[in-house]
Amino acid sequence: MLAPSEPAVGSAGWRLLRKRALRFADWAVNSEGSSRSSALIRIGIAMLFWSRWAGELLLYMHQSAIGLVLSANFFIATALLFIGYCSRAAAVWAGAVGLAMFYYFGHELGREPWTHHHTYLLAVAALLLALTPCGRSYSVDRYLAVTRAGRAGLPAPAEYGNLWGLRLIVVQLTVLYFFSAFDKTSYAFLSGARLEHIFLWYYAGSDYPALPGFHWLAMITAFAVVALEYGLAFGLPFRRTRRYLLLPGLAFHAVVYVTLPVYTFSATMALLYLAYVDADAVDKVIARLQGGGPIEPAGQGMS
Amino acid sequence: MVNVVTTGVSVRPAGWIAAGRLRLAAFLVIAAFMIAGPVAEQAFGLRTPLLRSWTMFSGIGLGVIDASFAIRQPDGSLVPLDRFAMLGASHDGKLKRIEDRDELASIIMRLCEAAGQGADIRVSARQGTRDGWRIVHTDTANACAE
Repeated sequence: MLAPSEPAVGSAGWRLLRKRALRFADWAVNSEGSSRSSALIRIGIAMLFWSRWAGELLLYMHQSAIGLVLSANFFIATALLFIGYCSRAAAVWAGAVGLAMFYYFGHELGREPWTHHHTYLLAVAALLLALTPCGRSYSVDRYLAVTRAGRAGLPAPAEYGNLWGLRLIVVQLTVLYFFSAFDKTSYAFLSGARLEHIFLWYYAGSDYPALPGFHWLAMITAFAVVALEYGLAFGLPFRRTRRYLLLPGLAFHAVVYVTLPVYTFSATMALLYLAYVDADAVDKVIARLQGGGPIEPAGQGMS
Repeated sequence: MVNVVTTGVSVRPAGWIAAGRLRLAAFLVIAAFMIAGPVAEQAFGLRTPLLRSWTMFSGIGLGVIDASFAIRQPDGSLVPLDRFAMLGASHDGKLKRIEDRDELASIIMRLCEAAGQGADIRVSARQGTRDGWRIVHTDTANACAE
Protein backbone atom coordinates (compact mmCIF):
# COMPACT_ATOMS: atom_id res chain seq x y z
CA MET A 1 0.00 0.00 0.00
CA LEU A 2 1.29 3.43 -0.89
CA ALA A 3 2.07 5.80 1.90
CA PRO A 4 0.09 9.05 1.72
CA SER A 5 3.19 11.07 1.05
CA GLU A 6 4.41 9.00 -1.93
CA PRO A 7 2.25 10.50 -4.70
CA ALA A 8 3.36 13.95 -3.60
CA VAL A 9 7.03 12.90 -3.75
CA GLY A 10 6.43 11.36 -7.17
CA SER A 11 4.80 14.46 -8.55
CA ALA A 12 7.55 16.64 -7.06
CA GLY A 13 10.12 14.50 -8.85
CA TRP A 14 8.13 14.75 -12.03
CA ARG A 15 7.87 18.51 -11.65
CA LEU A 16 11.62 18.77 -11.11
CA LEU A 17 12.29 16.62 -14.17
CA ARG A 18 9.88 18.70 -16.24
CA LYS A 19 11.46 21.92 -14.98
CA ARG A 20 14.91 20.70 -15.96
CA ALA A 21 13.70 19.51 -19.35
CA LEU A 22 12.10 22.89 -19.99
CA ARG A 23 15.27 24.63 -18.88
CA PHE A 24 17.30 22.47 -21.26
CA ALA A 25 14.86 23.14 -24.10
CA ASP A 26 15.04 26.85 -23.38
CA TRP A 27 18.85 26.74 -23.46
CA ALA A 28 18.86 24.61 -26.58
CA VAL A 29 16.45 26.37 -28.87
CA ASN A 30 15.11 29.53 -27.25
CA SER A 31 18.33 31.41 -26.48
CA GLU A 32 18.79 34.61 -28.40
CA GLY A 33 21.80 36.84 -28.43
CA SER A 34 24.34 38.79 -30.41
CA SER A 35 25.16 37.45 -33.86
CA ARG A 36 28.74 38.65 -33.72
CA SER A 37 30.29 35.50 -32.27
CA SER A 38 28.50 33.43 -34.95
CA ALA A 39 29.89 35.82 -37.57
CA LEU A 40 33.41 35.47 -36.21
CA ILE A 41 33.09 31.69 -36.38
CA ARG A 42 31.80 32.03 -39.96
CA ILE A 43 34.84 34.04 -41.04
CA GLY A 44 37.21 31.73 -39.16
CA ILE A 45 35.70 28.57 -40.67
CA ALA A 46 36.10 29.98 -44.19
CA MET A 47 39.74 30.79 -43.46
CA LEU A 48 40.35 27.32 -42.04
CA PHE A 49 38.84 25.75 -45.17
CA TRP A 50 41.31 27.78 -47.23
CA SER A 51 44.31 27.12 -45.03
CA ARG A 52 43.67 23.39 -45.25
CA TRP A 53 42.63 22.88 -48.88
CA ALA A 54 43.04 25.96 -51.05
CA GLY A 55 46.50 24.84 -52.16
CA GLU A 56 45.32 21.32 -52.91
CA LEU A 57 42.27 22.48 -54.84
CA LEU A 58 43.81 25.01 -57.20
CA LEU A 59 42.27 24.46 -60.62
CA TYR A 60 45.41 23.02 -62.20
CA MET A 61 45.81 20.41 -59.43
CA HIS A 62 42.95 18.11 -60.49
CA GLN A 63 42.11 18.62 -64.12
CA SER A 64 39.34 16.04 -64.28
CA ALA A 65 35.73 17.17 -64.60
CA ILE A 66 34.92 16.11 -61.06
CA GLY A 67 38.08 17.73 -59.72
CA LEU A 68 37.20 21.01 -61.39
CA VAL A 69 33.63 20.83 -60.09
CA LEU A 70 34.95 20.27 -56.58
CA SER A 71 37.45 23.13 -56.83
CA ALA A 72 34.85 25.54 -58.22
CA ASN A 73 32.33 24.66 -55.53
CA PHE A 74 34.98 24.88 -52.84
CA PHE A 75 36.21 28.33 -53.77
CA ILE A 76 32.78 29.86 -54.49
CA ALA A 77 31.14 28.47 -51.35
CA THR A 78 33.99 29.43 -49.02
CA ALA A 79 34.37 32.88 -50.59
CA LEU A 80 30.66 33.55 -50.03
CA LEU A 81 31.01 32.25 -46.48
CA PHE A 82 33.98 34.53 -45.86
CA ILE A 83 32.40 37.72 -47.15
CA GLY A 84 29.00 36.77 -45.75
CA TYR A 85 26.81 36.93 -48.82
CA CYS A 86 23.77 34.67 -48.48
CA SER A 87 25.72 33.57 -45.42
CA ARG A 88 23.56 30.72 -44.18
CA ALA A 89 23.16 29.22 -47.63
CA ALA A 90 26.92 29.59 -48.13
CA ALA A 91 27.45 27.75 -44.84
CA VAL A 92 25.27 24.86 -46.06
CA TRP A 93 27.14 24.89 -49.38
CA ALA A 94 30.59 24.91 -47.76
CA GLY A 95 29.51 22.18 -45.34
CA ALA A 96 28.19 20.07 -48.22
CA VAL A 97 31.50 20.53 -50.05
CA GLY A 98 33.31 19.42 -46.88
CA LEU A 99 31.12 16.33 -46.55
CA ALA A 100 31.62 15.50 -50.24
CA MET A 101 35.37 15.70 -49.68
CA PHE A 102 35.09 13.51 -46.60
CA TYR A 103 32.69 10.84 -47.85
CA TYR A 104 33.16 10.74 -51.61
CA PHE A 105 36.70 11.91 -52.31
CA GLY A 106 38.05 10.61 -49.01
CA HIS A 107 36.28 7.32 -48.34
CA GLU A 108 35.05 6.40 -51.83
CA LEU A 109 37.98 7.59 -53.96
CA GLY A 110 40.61 6.87 -51.33
CA ARG A 111 42.09 10.30 -50.70
CA GLU A 112 43.04 9.20 -47.21
CA PRO A 113 43.97 12.53 -45.52
CA TRP A 114 40.51 13.81 -46.37
CA THR A 115 38.96 11.08 -44.21
CA HIS A 116 40.50 12.49 -41.04
CA HIS A 117 38.64 14.06 -38.14
CA HIS A 118 39.59 17.60 -39.11
CA THR A 119 37.74 17.33 -42.44
CA TYR A 120 34.55 16.11 -40.83
CA LEU A 121 34.75 18.67 -38.03
CA LEU A 122 35.13 21.57 -40.47
CA ALA A 123 32.23 20.33 -42.61
CA VAL A 124 29.95 19.84 -39.62
CA ALA A 125 30.93 23.20 -38.13
CA ALA A 126 29.96 24.89 -41.40
CA LEU A 127 26.62 23.07 -41.48
CA LEU A 128 25.82 23.96 -37.88
CA LEU A 129 26.80 27.54 -38.61
CA ALA A 130 23.88 27.66 -41.02
CA LEU A 131 21.61 27.40 -37.96
CA THR A 132 23.08 30.57 -36.43
CA PRO A 133 22.52 34.23 -37.35
CA CYS A 134 26.03 34.22 -38.81
CA GLY A 135 25.16 36.63 -41.62
CA ARG A 136 23.76 39.37 -39.41
CA SER A 137 27.18 40.77 -38.50
CA TYR A 138 30.42 41.49 -40.34
CA SER A 139 28.96 40.49 -43.68
CA VAL A 140 27.75 41.69 -47.05
CA ASP A 141 24.32 40.51 -45.88
CA ARG A 142 24.58 42.98 -43.02
CA TYR A 143 25.69 45.78 -45.35
CA LEU A 144 22.77 45.15 -47.67
CA ALA A 145 20.28 44.94 -44.77
CA VAL A 146 21.50 48.23 -43.31
CA THR A 147 21.38 49.89 -46.75
CA ARG A 148 17.85 48.62 -47.37
CA ALA A 149 16.69 49.80 -43.96
CA GLY A 150 18.30 53.19 -44.51
CA ARG A 151 16.51 53.63 -47.82
CA ALA A 152 13.20 52.73 -46.19
CA GLY A 153 13.86 55.15 -43.34
CA LEU A 154 13.95 52.33 -40.82
CA PRO A 155 16.55 51.69 -38.15
CA ALA A 156 19.25 49.16 -38.98
CA PRO A 157 18.20 45.59 -38.21
CA ALA A 158 19.46 44.07 -35.02
CA GLU A 159 22.67 42.05 -34.97
CA TYR A 160 20.75 39.48 -33.04
CA GLY A 161 19.22 36.08 -33.46
CA ASN A 162 18.45 32.60 -32.19
CA LEU A 163 21.60 30.77 -31.12
CA TRP A 164 20.48 27.16 -31.37
CA GLY A 165 23.21 26.48 -33.94
CA LEU A 166 25.81 27.52 -31.37
CA ARG A 167 24.16 25.22 -28.83
CA LEU A 168 24.46 22.33 -31.28
CA ILE A 169 28.15 23.15 -31.70
CA VAL A 170 28.45 22.89 -27.91
CA VAL A 171 26.75 19.48 -28.02
CA GLN A 172 29.09 18.38 -30.83
CA LEU A 173 32.19 19.41 -28.90
CA THR A 174 30.91 17.75 -25.72
CA VAL A 175 30.27 14.49 -27.58
CA LEU A 176 33.69 14.74 -29.21
CA TYR A 177 35.56 15.31 -25.93
CA PHE A 178 33.61 12.69 -24.02
CA PHE A 179 34.05 9.89 -26.54
CA SER A 180 37.65 10.83 -27.20
CA ALA A 181 38.28 10.42 -23.45
CA PHE A 182 36.11 7.29 -23.22
CA ASP A 183 38.13 5.64 -26.01
CA LYS A 184 41.33 6.42 -24.12
CA THR A 185 40.02 5.01 -20.84
CA SER A 186 41.89 1.77 -21.31
CA TYR A 187 44.96 0.08 -19.91
CA ALA A 188 46.85 0.60 -23.16
CA PHE A 189 46.46 4.36 -23.05
CA LEU A 190 46.57 4.97 -19.29
CA SER A 191 49.70 2.84 -18.91
CA GLY A 192 51.42 5.39 -21.13
CA ALA A 193 52.08 2.78 -23.84
CA ARG A 194 49.96 4.43 -26.53
CA LEU A 195 51.66 7.80 -25.95
CA GLU A 196 55.04 6.03 -26.13
CA HIS A 197 54.02 4.51 -29.48
CA ILE A 198 53.08 7.95 -30.79
CA PHE A 199 56.28 9.51 -29.47
CA LEU A 200 58.44 6.82 -31.05
CA TRP A 201 56.53 7.05 -34.33
CA TYR A 202 56.97 10.78 -34.77
CA TYR A 203 60.06 11.66 -32.77
CA ALA A 204 62.35 8.99 -31.39
CA GLY A 205 62.09 6.31 -34.02
CA SER A 206 62.74 2.78 -32.81
CA ASP A 207 65.14 3.84 -30.05
CA TYR A 208 63.30 4.24 -26.75
CA PRO A 209 64.26 7.61 -25.21
CA ALA A 210 67.13 7.36 -22.74
CA LEU A 211 65.47 10.03 -20.57
CA PRO A 212 65.12 8.64 -17.02
CA GLY A 213 61.48 8.35 -15.96
CA PHE A 214 60.20 8.65 -19.51
CA HIS A 215 57.70 5.85 -18.97
CA TRP A 216 56.32 7.59 -15.86
CA LEU A 217 56.10 10.85 -17.77
CA ALA A 218 54.09 9.10 -20.50
CA MET A 219 51.79 7.55 -17.92
CA ILE A 220 51.19 10.81 -16.04
CA THR A 221 50.57 12.63 -19.33
CA ALA A 222 48.09 9.92 -20.36
CA PHE A 223 46.11 10.33 -17.13
CA ALA A 224 46.22 14.11 -17.47
CA VAL A 225 44.95 14.00 -21.07
CA VAL A 226 42.03 11.72 -20.21
CA ALA A 227 41.10 13.73 -17.11
CA LEU A 228 41.27 16.97 -19.07
CA GLU A 229 39.11 15.61 -21.89
CA TYR A 230 36.44 14.42 -19.46
CA GLY A 231 36.69 17.79 -17.74
CA LEU A 232 36.30 19.65 -21.02
CA ALA A 233 33.32 17.47 -21.97
CA PHE A 234 31.37 18.13 -18.78
CA GLY A 235 32.87 21.42 -17.63
CA LEU A 236 33.01 23.70 -20.65
CA PRO A 237 29.23 23.91 -21.20
CA PHE A 238 28.74 25.36 -17.70
CA ARG A 239 29.70 28.92 -16.84
CA ARG A 240 30.91 28.05 -13.33
CA THR A 241 33.49 25.50 -14.50
CA ARG A 242 34.19 27.04 -17.90
CA ARG A 243 36.38 29.78 -16.49
CA TYR A 244 38.83 27.17 -15.17
CA LEU A 245 38.82 25.07 -18.34
CA LEU A 246 39.03 27.51 -21.24
CA LEU A 247 42.75 28.15 -20.93
CA PRO A 248 43.75 24.51 -20.24
CA GLY A 249 41.60 23.46 -23.20
CA LEU A 250 43.17 26.00 -25.53
CA ALA A 251 46.66 25.14 -24.25
CA PHE A 252 45.95 21.44 -24.81
CA HIS A 253 44.96 22.07 -28.42
CA ALA A 254 47.95 24.35 -28.93
CA VAL A 255 50.33 21.66 -27.71
CA VAL A 256 48.69 19.03 -29.92
CA TYR A 257 48.79 21.45 -32.87
CA VAL A 258 52.54 22.00 -32.66
CA THR A 259 53.52 18.43 -31.79
CA LEU A 260 51.34 16.22 -33.99
CA PRO A 261 50.03 16.41 -37.56
CA VAL A 262 46.42 17.28 -36.78
CA TYR A 263 46.06 19.74 -39.68
CA THR A 264 43.30 22.24 -38.85
CA PHE A 265 41.69 20.20 -36.08
CA SER A 266 43.13 22.14 -33.14
CA ALA A 267 42.55 25.50 -34.76
CA THR A 268 38.93 24.56 -35.53
CA MET A 269 38.37 23.45 -31.94
CA ALA A 270 39.85 26.69 -30.61
CA LEU A 271 37.63 28.72 -32.93
CA LEU A 272 34.54 26.76 -31.92
CA TYR A 273 35.21 27.59 -28.26
CA LEU A 274 33.42 30.85 -29.14
CA ALA A 275 30.21 28.80 -29.09
CA TYR A 276 30.71 28.09 -25.37
CA VAL A 277 31.04 31.72 -24.43
CA ASP A 278 27.92 33.81 -23.91
CA ALA A 279 27.31 35.57 -27.24
CA ASP A 280 26.44 38.85 -25.56
CA ALA A 281 29.64 38.71 -23.49
CA VAL A 282 31.63 38.29 -26.73
CA ASP A 283 29.70 41.24 -28.09
CA LYS A 284 30.59 43.38 -25.07
CA VAL A 285 34.29 42.57 -25.49
CA ILE A 286 34.14 43.51 -29.18
CA ALA A 287 32.28 46.71 -28.36
CA ARG A 288 34.87 47.57 -25.72
CA LEU A 289 37.72 46.93 -28.16
CA GLN A 290 36.03 49.06 -30.81
CA GLY A 291 35.05 51.79 -28.38
CA GLY A 292 31.32 51.39 -29.08
CA GLY A 293 28.37 50.06 -27.16
CA PRO A 294 27.22 46.47 -27.22
CA ILE A 295 24.21 45.25 -29.17
CA GLU A 296 21.31 45.50 -26.82
CA PRO A 297 19.26 42.40 -26.22
CA ALA A 298 15.61 42.23 -27.16
CA GLY A 299 13.34 44.13 -24.84
CA GLN A 300 15.82 46.80 -23.86
CA GLY A 301 15.01 49.46 -26.40
CA MET A 302 17.29 51.25 -28.81
CA SER A 303 20.93 52.18 -28.87
CA MET B 1 26.10 52.35 -34.02
CA VAL B 2 23.43 49.76 -34.44
CA ASN B 3 19.83 50.58 -33.82
CA VAL B 4 17.77 47.88 -32.27
CA VAL B 5 14.02 48.00 -32.21
CA THR B 6 12.31 45.49 -30.01
CA THR B 7 8.84 45.10 -28.71
CA GLY B 8 9.64 43.63 -25.34
CA VAL B 9 6.53 41.49 -25.64
CA SER B 10 6.78 38.55 -23.31
CA VAL B 11 3.81 36.58 -24.60
CA ARG B 12 4.93 34.43 -27.52
CA PRO B 13 2.56 33.98 -30.45
CA ALA B 14 1.25 30.53 -31.37
CA GLY B 15 3.35 30.38 -34.56
CA TRP B 16 6.45 31.09 -32.55
CA ILE B 17 5.68 28.19 -30.21
CA ALA B 18 5.16 25.83 -33.14
CA ALA B 19 8.47 26.97 -34.65
CA GLY B 20 10.12 26.47 -31.26
CA ARG B 21 8.82 22.91 -31.05
CA LEU B 22 10.00 22.16 -34.55
CA ARG B 23 13.39 23.57 -33.71
CA LEU B 24 13.54 21.48 -30.53
CA ALA B 25 12.66 18.34 -32.50
CA ALA B 26 15.39 19.16 -35.05
CA PHE B 27 17.84 19.86 -32.22
CA LEU B 28 17.17 16.48 -30.62
CA VAL B 29 17.47 14.63 -33.95
CA ILE B 30 20.80 16.31 -34.78
CA ALA B 31 22.13 15.75 -31.25
CA ALA B 32 21.07 12.09 -31.42
CA PHE B 33 22.98 11.70 -34.71
CA MET B 34 26.06 13.26 -33.11
CA ILE B 35 25.90 10.77 -30.25
CA ALA B 36 25.02 7.78 -32.44
CA GLY B 37 28.38 7.75 -34.24
CA PRO B 38 30.69 7.19 -31.28
CA VAL B 39 28.16 4.98 -29.48
CA ALA B 40 27.87 2.73 -32.55
CA GLU B 41 31.61 2.15 -32.71
CA GLN B 42 32.75 2.43 -29.13
CA ALA B 43 29.85 0.58 -27.52
CA PHE B 44 28.74 -1.79 -30.29
CA GLY B 45 31.90 -2.11 -32.39
CA LEU B 46 30.13 -0.99 -35.57
CA ARG B 47 32.68 0.69 -37.85
CA THR B 48 31.26 2.73 -40.69
CA PRO B 49 32.53 5.84 -42.45
CA LEU B 50 29.00 7.22 -42.26
CA LEU B 51 29.38 7.84 -38.54
CA ARG B 52 32.20 9.56 -36.65
CA SER B 53 33.59 7.65 -33.72
CA TRP B 54 35.90 10.39 -32.37
CA THR B 55 38.59 7.88 -31.53
CA MET B 56 41.52 10.29 -31.63
CA PHE B 57 45.05 8.99 -32.19
CA SER B 58 43.74 5.45 -31.92
CA GLY B 59 45.70 4.28 -34.95
CA ILE B 60 48.81 6.46 -34.85
CA GLY B 61 51.98 4.68 -33.80
CA LEU B 62 50.54 1.18 -34.04
CA GLY B 63 53.07 -1.32 -35.30
CA VAL B 64 56.10 0.74 -34.34
CA ILE B 65 59.01 -1.34 -33.03
CA ASP B 66 61.06 -0.37 -30.00
CA ALA B 67 64.31 -2.26 -30.50
CA SER B 68 67.75 -2.46 -28.93
CA PHE B 69 70.69 -4.37 -30.34
CA ALA B 70 73.82 -5.78 -28.71
CA ILE B 71 76.80 -7.64 -30.12
CA ARG B 72 79.06 -10.09 -28.34
CA GLN B 73 82.70 -9.08 -28.16
CA PRO B 74 85.64 -11.53 -28.45
CA ASP B 75 85.99 -11.36 -24.64
CA GLY B 76 82.41 -12.63 -24.29
CA SER B 77 80.84 -9.37 -23.14
CA LEU B 78 77.75 -7.90 -24.81
CA VAL B 79 77.98 -4.25 -25.87
CA PRO B 80 75.27 -2.06 -27.41
CA LEU B 81 75.25 -2.14 -31.19
CA ASP B 82 74.64 1.07 -33.13
CA ARG B 83 72.68 -0.13 -36.16
CA PHE B 84 73.24 3.14 -37.99
CA ALA B 85 77.03 2.95 -37.65
CA MET B 86 77.13 -0.76 -38.47
CA LEU B 87 75.08 -0.32 -41.66
CA GLY B 88 76.52 3.09 -42.59
CA ALA B 89 73.06 4.69 -42.48
CA SER B 90 71.91 8.15 -41.50
CA HIS B 91 70.20 8.63 -38.13
CA ASP B 92 67.34 10.40 -39.90
CA GLY B 93 67.00 7.87 -42.70
CA LYS B 94 64.85 4.80 -43.20
CA LEU B 95 66.51 2.90 -40.37
CA LYS B 96 65.31 5.35 -37.76
CA ARG B 97 61.76 4.04 -37.46
CA ILE B 98 61.16 0.31 -37.77
CA GLU B 99 57.50 0.04 -38.65
CA ASP B 100 56.80 -3.69 -38.53
CA ARG B 101 58.27 -7.12 -37.82
CA ASP B 102 59.32 -7.75 -41.42
CA GLU B 103 61.40 -4.58 -41.36
CA LEU B 104 62.95 -5.70 -38.07
CA ALA B 105 63.82 -9.10 -39.53
CA SER B 106 65.40 -7.42 -42.54
CA ILE B 107 67.56 -5.16 -40.35
CA ILE B 108 68.66 -8.12 -38.21
CA MET B 109 69.70 -9.97 -41.36
CA ARG B 110 71.69 -6.98 -42.65
CA LEU B 111 73.38 -6.52 -39.27
CA CYS B 112 74.38 -10.19 -39.17
CA GLU B 113 75.80 -9.94 -42.69
CA ALA B 114 77.72 -6.79 -41.81
CA ALA B 115 79.08 -8.35 -38.60
CA GLY B 116 80.38 -11.38 -40.49
CA GLN B 117 80.23 -15.13 -40.08
CA GLY B 118 79.82 -16.36 -36.52
CA ALA B 119 78.58 -13.02 -35.17
CA ASP B 120 76.43 -13.11 -32.05
CA ILE B 121 73.85 -10.33 -32.11
CA ARG B 122 71.16 -10.09 -29.48
CA VAL B 123 67.94 -8.21 -30.15
CA SER B 124 65.30 -7.04 -27.70
CA ALA B 125 62.23 -5.71 -29.42
CA ARG B 126 58.61 -4.94 -28.65
CA GLN B 127 55.85 -3.74 -30.92
CA GLY B 128 53.16 -1.14 -30.34
CA THR B 129 49.66 -2.64 -30.45
CA ARG B 130 46.18 -1.46 -29.49
CA ASP B 131 46.63 -3.33 -26.20
CA GLY B 132 49.99 -1.79 -25.34
CA TRP B 133 53.47 -3.23 -25.96
CA ARG B 134 53.93 -6.78 -27.22
CA ILE B 135 57.35 -8.44 -27.03
CA VAL B 136 58.33 -9.66 -30.49
CA HIS B 137 62.00 -10.55 -29.95
CA THR B 138 64.05 -11.45 -26.89
CA ASP B 139 67.81 -11.39 -26.43
CA THR B 140 67.99 -14.91 -25.03
CA ALA B 141 69.42 -16.32 -28.25
CA ASN B 142 71.76 -15.24 -31.04
CA ALA B 143 69.54 -13.54 -33.64
CA CYS B 144 72.05 -14.44 -36.38
CA ALA B 145 71.62 -18.13 -35.64
CA GLU B 146 67.81 -18.07 -36.00
